[in-house]
Order: sequence, then structure tokens, then C-alpha cells
Amino acid sequence: MDPEPNNKTASGTGNPKDESTLKAPSKDPKKKDDKKEEDLSEEDLALKHQLELYVERAQDADPGLQKVALESMRQEIRTSTSSMTSVPKPLKFLRPHYGTLKSYYETMADSDLKKLLSDILSVLALTMSAEGDRESLKYRLLGSEGDIGSWGHEYVRNLAGEIAQEYSKRVNEEASVDDLIELVEQIVAFHMKHNAEPEAVDLLMEVEFLDLLVKHVDKTNYKRTCLYLTSSARYLPGPDDMSVLDIAYTIYKQFEEYPSALQIALYLDNMQHVKQVFTSCPDLLRKKQFCYILARQGLSFELDEEMCADDEDREALQEIINNTKLSEGYLTLARDIEVMEPKSPEDIYKAHLLDGRASAGASVDSARQNLAATFVNAFVNAGFGQDKLMTVTSEASSGGSSNWLFKNKDHGKASAAASLGMIDLWDVDTGLAQLDKYFHSNDNHVMAGALLGVGIVNCGIKNDCDPALALLADYLDKEDSSIRIGAITGLGLAYAGTQNEQIRDKLTPILGDPKAPLDVIAFTAIALGLVYVGSCNEEVAQAIIFALMDRSESDLGEPLTRLLPLGLGLLYLGKQDNVEATAEVSKTFNEKIRKYCDMTLLSCAYAGTGNVLKVQHFLGQCAQHFEKGETFQGPAVLGIAMVAMAEELGLDMAIRSLEHLLQYGEQNIRKTVPLALGLLCISNPKVHVMDTLSRLSHDADSEVAMAAVLSLGLIGAGTNNARIAGMLRNLSSYYYKEASLLFCVRIAQGFVHMGKGLLTLAPYHSERFLLSPTALAGLVVLLHACLDMKAIILGKYHYVMYFVVLAMQPRMLLTVNENLKPLSVPVRVGQAVDVVGQAGRPKTITGFQTHSTPVLLAAGDRAELATEKYVPLSPILEGFVILKENPDYREEA
Amino acid sequence: MPTVSVKWQKELYPAVEIDTTQSPYVFKCQLYDLTGVPPERQKIMVKGGILKDDSDWSKLGIKEGQKLMMVGTADEIVKAPEKGPVFMEDLPEEEQVVAVGHSAGLFNLGNTCYMNSTMQCLHSVPELKSALIEYPQSGRSNDLDQSSHLLTVATRDLFNELDKNVKPVAPMQFWMVLRKKYPQFGQLHNGSFMQQDAEECWTQILYTLSQALRSPSTSANLDTVKELFGIDLVSRVHCAESGEESMETETVYSLKCHISHEVNHLHEGLKHGLKSELEKASPSLGHSTVYLKDSRINGLPKYLTIQFVRFFWKRESNQKAKILRKVDYPLELDIFDLCSDDLRKKLEAPRQMLRDEDGRKAGLKLKQKNTSSVDSDVKMSDAEGPSTGSGESSKATLGEGVASDKNVQLTGVYDLVAVLTHKGRSADSGHYVAWVKQENGKWIQFDDDNPIPQREEDITKLSGGGDWHMAYICMYKARTIPM
Repeated sequence: MDPEPNNKTASGTGNPKDESTLKAPSKDPKKKDDKKEEDLSEEDLALKHQLELYVERAQDADPGLQKVALESMRQEIRTSTSSMTSVPKPLKFLRPHYGTLKSYYETMADSDLKKLLSDILSVLALTMSAEGDRESLKYRLLGSEGDIGSWGHEYVRNLAGEIAQEYSKRVNEEASVDDLIELVEQIVAFHMKHNAEPEAVDLLMEVEFLDLLVKHVDKTNYKRTCLYLTSSARYLPGPDDMSVLDIAYTIYKQFEEYPSALQIALYLDNMQHVKQVFTSCPDLLRKKQFCYILARQGLSFELDEEMCADDEDREALQEIINNTKLSEGYLTLARDIEVMEPKSPEDIYKAHLLDGRASAGASVDSARQNLAATFVNAFVNAGFGQDKLMTVTSEASSGGSSNWLFKNKDHGKASAAASLGMIDLWDVDTGLAQLDKYFHSNDNHVMAGALLGVGIVNCGIKNDCDPALALLADYLDKEDSSIRIGAITGLGLAYAGTQNEQIRDKLTPILGDPKAPLDVIAFTAIALGLVYVGSCNEEVAQAIIFALMDRSESDLGEPLTRLLPLGLGLLYLGKQDNVEATAEVSKTFNEKIRKYCDMTLLSCAYAGTGNVLKVQHFLGQCAQHFEKGETFQGPAVLGIAMVAMAEELGLDMAIRSLEHLLQYGEQNIRKTVPLALGLLCISNPKVHVMDTLSRLSHDADSEVAMAAVLSLGLIGAGTNNARIAGMLRNLSSYYYKEASLLFCVRIAQGFVHMGKGLLTLAPYHSERFLLSPTALAGLVVLLHACLDMKAIILGKYHYVMYFVVLAMQPRMLLTVNENLKPLSVPVRVGQAVDVVGQAGRPKTITGFQTHSTPVLLAAGDRAELATEKYVPLSPILEGFVILKENPDYREEA
Repeated sequence: MPTVSVKWQKELYPAVEIDTTQSPYVFKCQLYDLTGVPPERQKIMVKGGILKDDSDWSKLGIKEGQKLMMVGTADEIVKAPEKGPVFMEDLPEEEQVVAVGHSAGLFNLGNTCYMNSTMQCLHSVPELKSALIEYPQSGRSNDLDQSSHLLTVATRDLFNELDKNVKPVAPMQFWMVLRKKYPQFGQLHNGSFMQQDAEECWTQILYTLSQALRSPSTSANLDTVKELFGIDLVSRVHCAESGEESMETETVYSLKCHISHEVNHLHEGLKHGLKSELEKASPSLGHSTVYLKDSRINGLPKYLTIQFVRFFWKRESNQKAKILRKVDYPLELDIFDLCSDDLRKKLEAPRQMLRDEDGRKAGLKLKQKNTSSVDSDVKMSDAEGPSTGSGESSKATLGEGVASDKNVQLTGVYDLVAVLTHKGRSADSGHYVAWVKQENGKWIQFDDDNPIPQREEDITKLSGGGDWHMAYICMYKARTIPM
């Protein structure tokens, strides 16, 4: 019956469309009203006349009469504004009189009545005031300051919007905002009481007064509030996001939601907060859960007496942080899923499915194919402690011609020996025993491999005896550079993220050694970068900078030189502005490397931040066309992926931008795009990315094809994805003649079946909230090495492939009981649903299936307990989760 | 004297006493007793690295009850094998061929795919290769012209090159000589060489080779090419009008498969091709009349070449147009019913033996499956007796080549070994490709410089009926049985 588009949407922000619809009636109210009057029902007509009468009376000289009129007017409005599906009738009928009332208001003397009228005008302004006038706010401030909620939700929302505008105006004018804040407090209290936490948070963010939130949260709404805070933090610029998360941390801590508080503390990389969590939580069992969370993040963290008074307990906790039980848990999962049986590379290649195309004449060993088999074997059987190539022969009579190690050529033997470390991943005792045999070898390559293997086996595991340091330290100064590289890289892997000063003291002198060959220096820089990842350590930075400056002109052209800036960049991984001083220094470098260095530093510093401006900066760099392939565009393209991988939206945008680069970019960009795609969707085989990569894997340019093939492996890493496996199988027959491409295909096959499908390479964990810096660092090193595939991976430095070990984690949910023994409970596993800001208690997963733990979690999966019998000690069911018996649980009859 | 616990591999040795007055070597000997790891191989982790034999206990700060970790292996040390494996990458190129499993491709020198595919097909005939190897470099017989001699030498050299290389070969020399000998292949169109009919190329090369390989010394088997590819035909020429009848014999190098509306299969086409009508002057009638010529095969070659007559001269478009009709051809061809009665008689005995042997093989297999492992050994050796007596499997004899030529018998059964296909709408355009069965039984598609492995079932799909590659020339190899 109302032909006017209703303007219930005239909320805070108020768009221009509202304005136009609002103005229409006020221009020519008479005519419209005349027309309408005929349409009105009797009831409405009566109301209309009634209100007109009130308006008239309100302007009466008699204060008594005035009061009555205003009171009744208010009554009418209040009773009708509780719901706002259309413009309430009283408001509609009062609209024509807004002007009259306003002008009358100006003539009134100060009195309670004036305030009363002011209130009414404030409400009327909700639909009447022109855009930008903020009259609702104006009259509200002049009004009686009564209960704000009595005028209805819509009014409060509109007011909030106007406050935001007014606030920014006043801040610009440097005027006082005290009266506004007072109002804000009322509004926030109202919102928080009425399940409108997002609105409250939004308003507080607008007026930059989030601290107020802490006062208003209670047991019922703190979870929704914090969820909104943490999710919105992703989209906030500069220091704002940190302060938002700080508030969330405070709230979580206040309500003893310690695991969540700990996660935010980890996100903020604030060790002080982490410590606070430990000190403020009295419960030992919960502390154990904290330790599991810390261990997953790959953080090296020392507990002190303050955090846990009892020595024995502290030792138990420290053991969890040191990841000593990771191997055990992983094997529990493997046994449960029944994949303990070792797999040979042939089981992965499945050549029998490719009839007619399997390469003939297997009589002669191909060194390259054997090397590929070595890697595939290592990745597929990673962490299982048994395989069909490396470990079997050692049990049988050793040294026979059947020994797989010696089926590899020269430097290939290094990778083969190191693969033992991968097979015994995380199981330090067995791994070292296996590797020790090769320490007595007189073959330098075997030695180097054994040293690297020690690093791999210790990756992410800390041991009080520091076996890696003890074993490797003696080999750092050996004559042979492959042995040195083995030891240096081993240390880098074993102590990644620990900021161990002993390592620094041992490695930094190598950087300054004028006699050290370039490859040794390059790997030293990487190792230091890994150990001090994201630490912004000045001393290490200085050492690498000097090493870079000392390089001769010809050295700078070498493919391995790219690892030096990368080592420098890793020091600032995710540290944003902290890189500036170093970036400034890098501008003084030789111009051959200057731009490359700049891009690498920037991409590392903003990795995982989702900073849109930086993504645009990198895109801008890629838009330039050069006659001769400039190398700096490689890290720029990778930079897009590194920055944008932080959250889903930015990630999708980056994928689209990369498509453009593919179309318009030069060869040096095109060959990097697949790698960037690989990083964006790592262990997360999105179908459209899979298709793009599949297309590129047949590209005429072999470098593009190689990168695409490897990236197919990366996006499917540890998923056993059948589609990618099929694609790779077909590629293996397509490229059967091209040894280099076939090598890449094999490696990719190894990636896809990594850990027989129990592992993930994703550096993000805890529902994609936390980023493990060491994991990302490992991936970035691998990808940078892939920028010059021919010289590094297809050359003699193929062992850089083992840097992925830093990112390898079981993609499992393993529930344990209070004694940390595995406990099988039913859980629902399904696709995670974004519930931020949704009303009520929405389901957090969809399309779920019920399994019993331990279970595998795919990318984007979320689990929830399907039983009430236990209570998880962490809200996020990933990795190790301790279950406590639910005291309120009653067995159903 | 502090007591420590020592962890070695998965085992824990509690309560090991350290005598701090003695050198750490003594402690290592203690551990040797426990673990069996020789002291020199023991690596014990202590503060600041590995425990050295001459370290000072007091400086290491060993505490009571401390856990030490020892690494070391009691087993034998892994030694490198004396002789390392040989890697394909290290082999000289000739030997890599063996590993790759097929010979090299040929570069296209500008519309020379007709020549490349022809040469690839001929290259697959080992007997031709061995005959060429014996061909003398210089001594050309008088009745052979210089260009034929050069072409033969070039063919020999090209086959050699193909066998030696893994990477594609550029047949420059061969092509120059071919153009010299047959100038029609040097036709230019718009400044580039024209595409030619592969069948013409095939025929001309074979003709030249047959001239050149006619060995002057031995009088008997003088023509190797004829022996390998020649098909003896006996034809009855009959005139319906006059009732005249005469017999003719001739030798051809290929059978023609005529394609008409009724022809769906190679066999029908061959039958069609053996019947022809010709018009000639009849001596009895005194005017020219139609004679029916009905040919039968009287002598079989080792390699049976079959040409699909897919091209005919289309006057209106002035080019050789192509018949796209699908004509199926088998992997195993039996031409018994195309043979003359004489030949049939001769073939009967070998064919019976072939059937017997096939039957025996099948029967043997059955037997092997049924009998238990204990007595199967006896029966196996029993069964082997007659089979070795009558000869080895046909495949083995095939490989022996010309030397054992005398004592093998043809059976009239042929196996497909090479297919030359054409893709396109006319003989002088489109693309020629050779599909050749290798000695290891794998099929390779030689698309100029690019050899691609193919599956056997895809080979029979080249039978036409679309725009895909379709068979133009098929080469079958005789299945023989030793006598």
C-alpha cells in the first residue's frame, strides 16, 4: 500500500540512494498526501489525524498541553519502532511536520520539554535528515540522554553511523569528542546486550576506543566478539590490527579461554603474552595442551620456573614443546589408517596403467631416474622408518651391489644418504643410528648426505643432548665443500627458528671467509636465515650483507648467489617495517643484484600479511617489460604469492592476477607464475588452479612446463589426490624422452604421495589462523631454488628439495587422554564454514562424516567432537588435542 | 664417581658409572662392553660437542643421573661396491640407442616427410640393411649408372646413421642424391620443394636398390630386393568375346588394394586388385577387345608390401585426390586364398606345422596350468623334446636373417611390421608418417624427427574413414617355419 520504497535501510552509513528516496516526499508532501489519504484505511487515517493534532498541540503555548502532546507523540513512536520491516506509520505521518517541529524547536526556551522534543526530532531525523547533516546525532546530543534502546534498533544503528562520521570530522578539527564517547558507551552497551557484537566492535573501531569493549563483554558474548575481532584484524591496516588482536587476547584471557589467547599471542609473535598465558593458567593438563600448540607452531620456547613450578612437570611440558613425541603420534596415525607397509617408487609411478608407453629397455640404470626414485622414496616413506630402497639393504648383507645408495651417481649419493634422514624423520634415535654408518664412508658425497640427513631427522625436534650440533660441528671446516654444505645445511634444518647463538658463532665466520667457495657461502646464508628466521637479528644481517658486498662481479651472476639475499630476507620474514633499514642498505649493492635483493627482502618481510599495497607493488614490478630477462621479477612474482597467501579473499584475487601475468608477462615471469600458484594453494588442490597448471605443464617453454609440473606436486602435496596423480602419470609418458622434465614429474609424484598422504606442506595451521615461520621459510627456499631449475635442482644442488622438510607436518587430529595416550573418540569432520558475525549458533562444519580418531584433515576441513563424553582442551581440533572427561556427562540409557 | 644413564639407539642403559679419574676412553670401553660399539666409533654427546678421548671430565660438568646420548653403530660399515653401476648418461650415444629401444628420427628438410617415412619403413627390414652393408663402396658394376650407385651408398649410410644415433638425423646427403637420380622429387613450388607421393618414392628407391644389389658374383640369388619384396604373379588372361586364353607371369613389388564401394577390408581390396580388365588387340578377332586378367600369387616374398590405392587423378581439380574410405587391415594377414593352386600345395605342409605348433603351444600352456609342480618338470622336458626337434619358435628363426634362409618355409601368414600413413586430402599435400614395429615388439610412430611410442591397438585404427592418419602402404613380414 505504500508506493514509496521504504527506507528501513537508512542505517549508519547511509548511501546516496537513501537520500534521493528520502527527499522525494519532502519536496512535495502535500500532493502525495492528498493522494494517499484516499488509500488509507480508517485506522491509519485516525492515527494520522491524531498525530497532526499532536504536532499542532506541541506548538501550543501551554507547557502542560505541550508536554502531553509530546509525551503521546513519543509513546506512538516508541511502540511502533520496535520492529522495522517498513517505515513505521507514526514516522511516516510525522514526516511532513519535521520541518515545522524543527523550526519550532529553535524558538523554544531551554526546558525539559525542549529536550523531549529534541528526542523526538532525533528519531524523526532518522528518515528525514539529509545525508551528511547528522541531525539525528545533533538532536540526540541536545536531548534528554535517556535509554537509547527505547527508540529501537534501527535508531541506534543510524546513530552509530553518524557518530562515526562526526568523530572523524571532529578529530580532523581537533575538537573534543567526550560527548560522543559517552554516547558510544551507551550504544556499545546496547549492542553487546542484543547480540550485535559486530556492530559494537565496528563502532569502537571507528572511534578508536576498543578498550571500552573489555568492560562490556560477558560470558555469553565474548566468543562471538573475539571471533569478529580476530577475523576483522586480517583486513585492518597498520598497527590497528595488532591493537584489535591485543583486545581479543585480553578478553580471552579474562574469560580463561587460554588456548585461544595463546593462539593470538602466537599470531602477534608476542612471547610476553605467551608467558602470561602459562603463568595465569593453573591447570597442568591445559598447559600441556598449550605446549602442543607451541610445538605445532615450530617455536623454540623455554619454560621457566614461573611458568611451571614443579621440575618434573616442567620437564614433561618441555618435552611436548620439543616435539619428541611427534614421531610416535604420526606412527599411531599411520597404524590406524593401515599404511605402514613401505612403498617403492614403482608403486607411485604406476607405470602399468600406462600401456605401451612405458619406456623400454630398463637394463641400464639412469642416474637421473635413480635420483628421482631416491627422492620419491624419501618423500613417500617420510617418517615411517622403513622403505624398500634405503633401509632394507642395510639389514641384509651390506655393501652388496644391491645397495641403492650406490646406484646414485656422485652428488646423487648425497641426496640418497640424506634420504635416510627423511625416512626416519622426527625419530632421532633410529635416524642417527641409521645415518651413523655412513659417517665412516670415505666417499665425500656420502658423508655430505649423512650430515644433511642428521639435520633432516632433527628437523623440528629439540633434544637436550643437542646431537645435531655435536655431530655436525666438526665438519663445518672440512676441506671438501660438499661436506661443508652438508653440515651447514643440516644445522640450518635442525635448528631452524631456534635462534641458537652457538650456531651463529659457528656459521658467521664462514660468511666472512675469503677462501670459502660461493656455494658454501650461499648455503651458510640460508642456514643462518633459517635459524634466525623472523628474528631481525642485526649481527646475522650484517654478516650476510658483508658477504654480499664481498662478492665479485662474476659471482653475482651465479645462480646460487640468489640464496644470499634470500637468507637475509628470511631474517625479516613477516616482520614488515623492520626490514626498512636493511632494505636501505641493500640499495647500495651492486646493481646486478640490487633490484633482486630489494624484491626478495620486501617479499619476505611482508610474507603472510595479506598487505594489498605490497601485492600491488609487486604487480607493478611485473608489469615492466625488459629486452633481456631481468631476474628480479622472479622474486616479485613469488612475493605476490607470499604476501597474498594470508587469507582466502586475497588469495583468490592473487590467483586471478597471476592469470593476467601469464597472459601478458615475459618468459621470466611466466616461468615463475606456476611456482607462485603452487605456494598459494600448497597442499590444497583447488580445481581451477589444477587446470591452469595442467595446461602450463604442456607449455612449449620447458622452464614453464617444469615449474608447472613441480607446482602440481606442491598443490597436491600429501593429499594422494587422484586427479593430480593421473595427470602426472600421463605427463610421465608424455615427457618420457625428456630427462629433465621427467625428473620433475617424478618429484611431483613424490610430493603428491608424500607420507603416503598423511602429510601436509601448508605453513598455515590452527584453522588457517597461524603461520609457522619455519615452514614458510622452508618453502620459500625451495621456490627460490626453483627459479633457476637447470642450475640448482637439475644441477648438483638437488638436495635443496629437502628444505620442504621444514613445512612437513602430519595433517591429523590425534586425540589423547589425560596421560597423553591416544584415545579414540568419534568426531565429525567436514568442510569448515565461516560463521563470523552470523546470528545465533550456526553450524561450523558442513557435509560432515563421522570418524573415530585419529583422523586425517584435508585443507579447509574442520573437526568437532561427536560425543559429549569428553571435553577438548583446545577449541581447535587439529594435531594433538587432549581430551578431558566431561564431568556432566551421563550415559544415555 | 657420578652415575649416568646412557641412551643408545632405542635402548637406555641406566646406572653407568663414570670414573672421573680415568680418561673418557675408559668410559667408552665400558660402553663397548654394553653395546658392542667399538670405542673409536662412539660419539657421545656432552656439553660443547662430542666427548673426546682426552677430554677432562671435570670441565664437562657431568651431573649425577644425567642422561647421555651415544651414537655409533656396532654393525659393519657400509662399503661402496667395487664396481659402480653404469649409468645411461655416461654411455656413448650408440649404446644409448639400446636403452631407448628405437632408432632415431629424421629431420624434415622441407616437405620431405614422404621420404622420411619411406626410409623409416625400409629401415625396419634387417635383411635389406645387411645386404646394403655388403655393398661395395667403390666397385660399381658396369651396368649400373653413377647416380644409382650413389643413391645406394647414401641409403646404406643413412641406415647406418639411424642405427647409431639417438638424436634425430638430417638426411641431407641422401636427399641430394635422390633428387639427382630422380629429378621429379626436386620440383619447386613457390621457391620451396613440393610434397611428393610417398608411394612413388618407395617404388623408385626399391627399383634403384634392386638394380644395385644385383650381385654379379653369385649367379643364383642375384636380386636381393626381388627376393625380399618380389611377388610372383601368374595371370590368366581371358577374352570373353573370342574365348582366347593365355597365361602370363610377372613379378611385382607390391600388391594393390583397390578401394571401391564394396571394399571394407584389405582382403576384399586385394582380391579386387588382382582382377583387372584390359583392352588390347585380339589377334583372332582382328580388333581390340576387352580381356579379363585374373592374377594369382605364385611366389611369396619375405616382406609383403601392400599399397592402398587411395589416390586417383581428378581431372577437374588437377590433382591426385584421395579416397577417405575406411578399409580395415589386420595385424596378422593370411593370403592363402590369393595364391595359385601350385603355391597352395607347397604351402600346405608348412601351414599344417604352423597350426600344430600353435596348438601345441596352447596345449602346453594348458597342461602347465593343470599339472602340479612336482611332475610338471618331467612333462615339460618331454614336451620340449619334439618342439626343439621341429625347431624353435618362429620368432627366433626370424631373427637369424638371410643366413638361415634356405631351411625356412613360408606359410602364407604375414605379420604387420610397418605402416606408412598419409594425413590430408591429396597425395601431394598433407603429411606422411611411418609407424614401425621395433625388434622388441613396440610400435613407434616416426613423425619426422619425433619418434613417439604407440600402442599396438592404435595401429589398426589407421584404417581411414576420417581426417586422421590413414594407411597408404602396409608392410607385412612373413611368418616362417623351419624345415
